[in-house]
Amino acid sequence: MTSKNSFWASCRENHKRRIWVWIVAVLSQLLVYGGMTMVYLSRIRSFYEGGTYRTRQAFEEAMYQAARDALGFSDNVYPFIMILGAIIGIQGFSYLYDRRKVDMYHSVPVAKGRRFAVVYLNGLMIYVVSYLAGLFVSMVLAGAQGAVNAAVISDAGLAFLWNLFLFLVSYHMMILSVMLTGNRFVTACVYLFLGLFEICANAMKNALSWDFYDTYTIAFKDSAPKLSVYYDCTANIWQLKNLKEAGEKAALAFPIMGKWAVIAAVFLALSWIAYRKRASEAAGKAIAFPVLKPFLKVAVAIPGALLIGSLVYDSSNGNVTLMAAGMLAGAVIICAAMEVLYAFDIRCILKHLPSTGVAIAGVLAIFCIFKWDLTGYDKYIPDQNRVESIAISLDSYYDNYWDENRQYINSDDYIKENMFLTDAKPVLALAAMSRQTDAEDMGQSRTLQVLYRLKSGREKARRVVVDYDDPKAVAYLDQIFKTDEFKRGIFQVMTDEKYCDGVTKISYSNGPVRTAIPAKEADALRAAWIKDMEQFDFKLAKDGMPCGQITLSYADYSQREWYVYDTFTETIACLKKNEAFYPAQLNAEDVDYITVVNYHNELTQEAVDMAVDESVAREGDMPIDVAIDVDYTVTENFTDRAQLEEILSEIHCSYFTSPWGNYNGIEDNYSVNVVFKKDSDYPYERDSYYFNYVFVKGQVPDFVAEATAYTE
Amino acid sequence: MIEIHNLTKRFDQIKAVDEVSVAIREKTVFGLIGTNGAGKSTVLRMIAGVIKPDEGTVAVDNMPVYDNVEAKKRLFFIADEPYFFANANAQTMERYYSGVYEAFDKEEFYRYLEKFSLDKNRKIGTFSKGMKKQLALLLGICAHTKYILCDETFDGLDPVMRQGIKSIFAKEMEERGLTPVIASHNLRELEDICDHVGLLHKGGVLLSKDLEDMKCNIQKVQCVFATVDDEIKALNGLEILKKEQRGSLSTITLRSGREEVEARLATVDTVFYEVLPLSLEEIFISETEVVGYDIKKLILG
Repeated sequence: MTSKNSFWASCRENHKRRIWVWIVAVLSQLLVYGGMTMVYLSRIRSFYEGGTYRTRQAFEEAMYQAARDALGFSDNVYPFIMILGAIIGIQGFSYLYDRRKVDMYHSVPVAKGRRFAVVYLNGLMIYVVSYLAGLFVSMVLAGAQGAVNAAVISDAGLAFLWNLFLFLVSYHMMILSVMLTGNRFVTACVYLFLGLFEICANAMKNALSWDFYDTYTIAFKDSAPKLSVYYDCTANIWQLKNLKEAGEKAALAFPIMGKWAVIAAVFLALSWIAYRKRASEAAGKAIAFPVLKPFLKVAVAIPGALLIGSLVYDSSNGNVTLMAAGMLAGAVIICAAMEVLYAFDIRCILKHLPSTGVAIAGVLAIFCIFKWDLTGYDKYIPDQNRVESIAISLDSYYDNYWDENRQYINSDDYIKENMFLTDAKPVLALAAMSRQTDAEDMGQSRTLQVLYRLKSGREKARRVVVDYDDPKAVAYLDQIFKTDEFKRGIFQVMTDEKYCDGVTKISYSNGPVRTAIPAKEADALRAAWIKDMEQFDFKLAKDGMPCGQITLSYADYSQREWYVYDTFTETIACLKKNEAFYPAQLNAEDVDYITVVNYHNELTQEAVDMAVDESVAREGDMPIDVAIDVDYTVTENFTDRAQLEEILSEIHCSYFTSPWGNYNGIEDNYSVNVVFKKDSDYPYERDSYYFNYVFVKGQVPDFVAEATAYTE
Repeated sequence: MIEIHNLTKRFDQIKAVDEVSVAIREKTVFGLIGTNGAGKSTVLRMIAGVIKPDEGTVAVDNMPVYDNVEAKKRLFFIADEPYFFANANAQTMERYYSGVYEAFDKEEFYRYLEKFSLDKNRKIGTFSKGMKKQLALLLGICAHTKYILCDETFDGLDPVMRQGIKSIFAKEMEERGLTPVIASHNLRELEDICDHVGLLHKGGVLLSKDLEDMKCNIQKVQCVFATVDDEIKALNGLEILKKEQRGSLSTITLRSGREEVEARLATVDTVFYEVLPLSLEEIFISETEVVGYDIKKLILG
């Protein structure tokens, strides 16, 4: 039996004051988990009844998966958990807002520590009990429909922990907000401030860097918020949902939960200190600790003013003067609003001008730093001796990357993890050339995202613009591309020994013909291709025209493609061994006719320019849209054998022409369609009527150019 | 004993309590009087340990009170607007307070409720202001603390209720040495209940005295002297606080003992004289006028 003044008696007494929170928590948890379970399971059941699942086993697996989606990690739940944490937090300690309540609670002989512990633990209990009640009812509902197995229980258990730590962060953050403030509105503002400050500050820094720095890049930079649980949820919940194994989920979830535990502990410790220090007379005031007022004002005003300036900049097509004016006005308005909020008195709008001055000075200082690059951001090129290694990513090259769990990952993340160029010289030379040349003066400019890993342990990322037409740049790129470090860093197939695991189908295509290769040949084909890639360099990447493409299909329906060049003898030999290789060069005997379309883009552009000039002369303003009534397109069919042979010798299948985005090598005025004879033995894919090809720049036969010339 | 020494409290730039020093003896009814804003509530909240003084000390039976559970066990604070839980009735409040104050006497509480015709099951939200104050007082009395701090608690109580509470106070003082501390802006509210009065003005203490001492040391005399010489002789050497003359009838307020005044008047030729009882109001007027304050403006309004 507990004494009437025992801790548990206090807890029981406190629960009487929190009946409505109990009701809200339990009902909402029942509705969320019970509701989701019912909706998900009944949807699967209706699909089954509609014949979507062919086998009973497929239906059962879908039911298990639906139960995991409902009771495990869910992207629908985490905002709800955070809101619940905030509600329970504010309700428990909101007595501090009311002088009458403070007079009563603080005059009775109850130690501060006990009162805090009672309210805190009761809040935690409300969450845990309501969550478990919702989970239990949902489990019973799912169990009754045969949708519970060990995986569902394991997911639900892990998600319970995940949501518990999420709740704790939100709960503690709200308790701290209550301790720092004296009324609900300001508490909500402080809660949002604590939760969103890092995200907003990051966003502002990125926006200003993007607006003002030429070398700024978002690639490689881990600009993600470090302390935002909301961001952690959005960034990871999808992966947590999709991982199959409990161990994999735990490996991903536990470090994040550990971080949340630390954040929650810090918030709780600060809450406790604030609770101990908080004066009773703070009830009803905006901020409980007057000393915090100027800091809070400046901390809100600076990112707020920067945001306003950034919005003005975007909406005024990059007008820097208006941006600066917007920032200044924003700082003044926000500071004034904060003063009004502090005192709940509009007459205080211009109070405490020194802190307003600090905010304005801060905003101006940040603006100047970015506008005139006072930190030398754009000038930065590290000293070669200070560079440990470098990773580069080309925005023109795209590949699918996955991690060890076969989850797709961002190409920058993959390259950052896998590319370690130790010869910094060519990269630094390219960076120096980029700094000295305006991108608009370059012939064929392409962007490299560069990550410098310094010997000091620091990492810096920059954008470097490279002119592909500049022989010096090409030479430097060649040096980079030739290295094994570059190839291993950009081609996952070269390093991932399990790359071929799960391959269900392999095919080779030269464009019109697609051949099948046994899946068991995947490793042999991979080895041959890797061997051939030794010859890979920038010249091949830029100017090489693949003769075909190998496609690997996986059990999860994903695909991977490898380009094959004429010089890839090992690969071609392997393909030949499997009777899968067909050369890119087509035989005129198999071709019925070739249709060449000449778009005459230059004439179209001239006509557009003239129409624009006429419109400007007539209307005095640039037209939004112009229409020209002349079609300069000329189409010609070629059937003559000699002409067919000449055309076939100059064209390349359009599907394989630009693995590195080198569109400038293609004659974009022309489109070539090859139509095969219906009775040809050539094993082209019969479900296609024609196959699209392109000319390489400067290799259009004269007779084609003449035949497709435009005549009025 | 509650000892307050150099107590000072500021709210923002305003000094609400300025170096207040008062000693509240046990088993006396201490009245704390002052205008609105004089600092009465602030002093009481500091005594109750609700707010922390900026300077000075409050000691309850030699224990600092702020953040001290042992000291708070000896106090029950009734704020000017007592708080009751939402939708609570008297029984709910009893359950709470009996969980907090170990000596809370439930039987006595329900007995008093009946005596004051307060329904234990009726929601407090439907009570009148006076009934709420009665309930708060009964909760405070039944908590069986040594000190009960009442902030404007008697304002709004009808005379019958006041008398009832006074009787309970008297009984509790007699039986267990209860010490009520009553703050009020209305001097007349305290006249018949206090033993000792502290007058607060603009955060400071103007005076703090036992009522009996004040009554014994100030006399009001109405008399008609036979001659002017008699008057001069009788009043010579006495500290005259106030003198009014209507025809030959003199009304004199002076600082002295009753016996001394009567002895003086017996030595001269008077047509008529009478020593009159002084109201608390008159005593205050006399006391504060001496130090330059117009008490009528301060308290009586």
